[in-house]
Amino acid sequence: MNNENIVEINNLKKGFDKGRIKALNGIDLQIRKGEFVSIIGPSGSGKSTLLNMIGALDTADEGLIRVDGNDLSQKNDLSDFRSKKIGFIFQLHNLIPNLNVLENVTIPMYGNGYNSKQMSARAMKLLKYVKLQDKATRKPTELSGGERQRVAIARALANKPSIVLADEPTGSLDSKNGQMILKRLKELHEKENVTLIMVTHDMNVASMADRTIKVLDGKIQT
Amino acid sequence: MSFIKLMAKNPFRNRARLALSVIGIAIGIATIVALGMVTDGLKLSVEEQLKTGGADFVVVKNTTSESSSGSEAINEKRVDEISKMNGVKQAAGISTSGMTVNGDRLNLAGVNSKDLNMLGAKITQGKAFSADDKNELILGKLASDRLKKKVGDTVTLNGNKYTITGIFETGNVNLDSIGALPLKKLQKMDEEDGKVYMIYVKINSGQDLKTVSKSVEKAYPGELTSLASLEDYQKADNSLNMIETATMAISLLAIIVGGIGIINTMIMSVFERTREIGVLKSVGWKSRRILGMILGESIVLTLIAGMVGIILGFIGIEVIMNFSEIPIPLTFTPVLALKALGIAILVGIIGGLYPAIRASRLAPTEALRYE
Ligand SMILES: Nc1ncnc2c1ncn2[C@@H]1O[C@H](COP(=O)(O)OP(=O)(O)OP(=O)(O)O)[C@@H](O)[C@H]1O
Ligand SMILES: [Mg+2]
Repeated sequence: MNNENIVEINNLKKGFDKGRIKALNGIDLQIRKGEFVSIIGPSGSGKSTLLNMIGALDTADEGLIRVDGNDLSQKNDLSDFRSKKIGFIFQLHNLIPNLNVLENVTIPMYGNGYNSKQMSARAMKLLKYVKLQDKATRKPTELSGGERQRVAIARALANKPSIVLADEPTGSLDSKNGQMILKRLKELHEKENVTLIMVTHDMNVASMADRTIKVLDGKIQT
Repeated sequence: MSFIKLMAKNPFRNRARLALSVIGIAIGIATIVALGMVTDGLKLSVEEQLKTGGADFVVVKNTTSESSSGSEAINEKRVDEISKMNGVKQAAGISTSGMTVNGDRLNLAGVNSKDLNMLGAKITQGKAFSADDKNELILGKLASDRLKKKVGDTVTLNGNKYTITGIFETGNVNLDSIGALPLKKLQKMDEEDGKVYMIYVKINSGQDLKTVSKSVEKAYPGELTSLASLEDYQKADNSLNMIETATMAISLLAIIVGGIGIINTMIMSVFERTREIGVLKSVGWKSRRILGMILGESIVLTLIAGMVGIILGFIGIEVIMNFSEIPIPLTFTPVLALKALGIAILVGIIGGLYPAIRASRLAPTEALRYE
């Protein structure tokens, strides 16, 4: 089970600005199911671009990318794939300001056949998991940075994704709050057997993963 | 929380902007409602007038036909002829005129005393005039209020004193604002002996209104027209049609101006929420759902504006008419309210469509990079 590849990438290329910027310049990468992988590299090396490709937020110019059995270059509407397979955590929490914490967590569940009650119940369970059940009715602005990021984790888990993608999840936090978020993510990976791919600048953070991948100029360093 | 509720919450994020765009559209809707109340009121008044009292239909000069002399007067001989026609029970010649009384305008109807029943007027004070050769007059309730005249008072018409013998009420604003006097007297005053302007016709029971009214028309081809319904009336008198056309034009203008306002508001709203829309895409929302959300927000906004506009229009026109000299009957119908809301929704759809399409087509990565 554990040696099955959930992510399979061959010679993946992606350019911006009509090809003047080569963000990804031939990436080859395999990630096993249940693995915790960190991606590290200097600014502008293509880490976020790679993560966005895996999460089907963007499409490749060239090469093959297969995630959890789906050939992403062949698909037209990727929203179903994103909804069911992927949980995203960004550097900035990106919570919706006029919704309370609980409602923010329910956002990914719309259109997946839940009624309001089921959505709230599931969101509450996830908030318990990130230990924020007593802040469920607060607005995001009333929360600390670390708490907001924990809400973002709960939201990422809303549809039971098989892969969680985190783009510098601790990037905007102090070290204490950052440690707490990392502990949550590590626990999630260990207990739920979720595949976790995390982009970071920080060598110490990266070292928590099973494996660290270095990206430089749109290529993986070996 | 349901999707609809989620969507309905969004326009309330920026309350100042919400208020501004609501007011912008509400003014347009208010105009539509106010004008609608006037047209509906006029129509209803015409219908009432057609139905009031003993008359089943009204005969007037056909002024649209080529053979007509262009004059609106009818030879009084026709009254007698029509009264003898098949199915006709009674025919009354009526003359109309406008006079100035103490600086106030008063519309007058000349009618023979035996035909007073045709006006459908109920005498509520005093009595009707009984002779056709005396200087006597009856006043509608509204006219008597306006002129501050009561039974027994006199008014001077064309230099002659007339005694008010009674006050009548019909329930129709137009009719209650006039005065009635013997036909002969009015004809003399206007130097129009032997001429009438309308013939009120009552049919025998069991007769078909359409058949009788058409047969009168056929007896005087090109000369007379029967007005038996609102449609007949609108064909003979263009003023209602003109008001309706003006209402349509203003409605169209309101839709266009309101639509542009909504496009602007919704584009701003989408622009400010670019990043958020990126997040919605990243969690797997379909483009269709985002389109539906923005379009729905736009409709929520215009629906609020529609409701505000209906209230504003209603109060506004009532206040204006309160100060107006000319009594215009106002009617507020549920159909008018629904029409106003329908227009509001239409503005919401037209104005929201482009911003919604733009939002739904945002590339998720671009949207997420947006600062
Ligand atoms: N949408 C875009 N349009 C134009 N250029 C882009 C776009 N996205 C990324 N790039 C460029 O592609 C390159 C890789 O960007 P990427 O965001 O993947 O880097 P990164 O490794 O995540 O950097 P950082 O550590 O600063 O987040 C950069 O040169 C960036 O400017
Ligand atoms: Mg990045």
